[in-house]
Amino acid sequence: MTTDDSFPWPWQHDFPPFYTLQPNADTRRKQEEAWCTLILSYCKHYKTHQLDVAEISAGPLFNNKSIQRKLATEHIVGILNVLSKKGHVEWLDTNKKSCIIMWRTPEEWGKLIYDWAKSFGLMNTVCTLYELTNGEDSAGQEFHGIENWLLVRALKTLQSSGKAELISLGEANDGVKFF
Amino acid sequence: MRRRGVGIAAIRNKGIAGEKFKNKGSELAEDQINQMSKQLESFQNNLQEFAAKHRNDIKKNADFRQHFQQMCATIGVDPLASSKGFWSEMLGVGDYYYELGVQIVEVAMATSHRNGGIMGIEEMRKRVSKSRGSKSAAVSIDDIIQAIKRLKVLGSGFSLIPVRGTYIVQSVPGEMTLDHTVVLQQAESTGFVTKDQLVTELGWDLHRADIALEHLVREGLAWVDEQGDTTQYWFPGLFHSIIDK
Repeated sequence: MTTDDSFPWPWQHDFPPFYTLQPNADTRRKQEEAWCTLILSYCKHYKTHQLDVAEISAGPLFNNKSIQRKLATEHIVGILNVLSKKGHVEWLDTNKKSCIIMWRTPEEWGKLIYDWAKSFGLMNTVCTLYELTNGEDSAGQEFHGIENWLLVRALKTLQSSGKAELISLGEANDGVKFF
Repeated sequence: MRRRGVGIAAIRNKGIAGEKFKNKGSELAEDQINQMSKQLESFQNNLQEFAAKHRNDIKKNADFRQHFQQMCATIGVDPLASSKGFWSEMLGVGDYYYELGVQIVEVAMATSHRNGGIMGIEEMRKRVSKSRGSKSAAVSIDDIIQAIKRLKVLGSGFSLIPVRGTYIVQSVPGEMTLDHTVVLQQAESTGFVTKDQLVTELGWDLHRADIALEHLVREGLAWVDEQGDTTQYWFPGLFHSIIDK
């Protein structure tokens, strides 16, 4: 579902000091949290999975033209580092020029899918990944239509905790069994 | 020449007259008291009748409530203040400011993480109204002021800082000196102040402005913006576009 609905900016986006790193440690922590939340909800809204730092730093997220304030690139990288510690961001290069962004971490997706599978009585049966994300049963679920790479990563977190097993069914048609 | 009234009889007469006066006096006083208590009774009846008749107006109409409150205050009764007794049983309005006070505390607590405990009174009013739901009666600025005045009695650390016809609600128990209050007053209309502004508008020297602003930053009340012409000190609690979000 793509919508043209414009993103509902939080009040901080229009708050000039939001773009200056705060000297007070407490305030800075609040500022970082607010940036983290904003970045994740922005990416979720526009279904963005990959960020190019140079590109995004020129865009509206970090650049509010109406109040002539922008977040410096070094601070953007700093915030993305915070997100990376929380498991939402993975750098694609050592220069930190681009990254993968996941508004839910693979663990969170895994739990979501597992709880759904359990409530739907899919334990101990094999279902295909396609079924899982594009079948009628999961319509309306948040993971419906999730990208394949993210799904696989989510299921792998379940696999490592013994809650699921990924099964290759051949012809690029993988399956999964929940325990 | 004989002087009159020096005999025994005269003394007795005087005594009788004095007694009569006394009797008459207490009679009069009794009359007066009777009359007054009758008046008071009828007044109370009228006020009761009035309050019962306009109960809904008192609860729903902020303007009306303010007038009723004023009227009661001049004659020394405060029906909206206590939640116990005849007024609340009669009217069911005694809880009004108590309830409002609790909601004000809730709003202050819920927002303190980002405004550090200060906000404009209009924002407070909007947030309290929101938390009461659209079905309940409109809350006026005056209601907020009344409720906060009652909170003060509890020593809850709430206070109102007057700013050119409006107020800033302060719920930080931390110490606020006059200088800090004055800085907030300066920031009320725009949401921020600069050092220069304090120097030119208040006649402060730079050192005094520095100390006040540093304190407000340290307390988490002010945010620093370095991207303007000069450093600006912003107060989320006084930032106007915050109100609608």
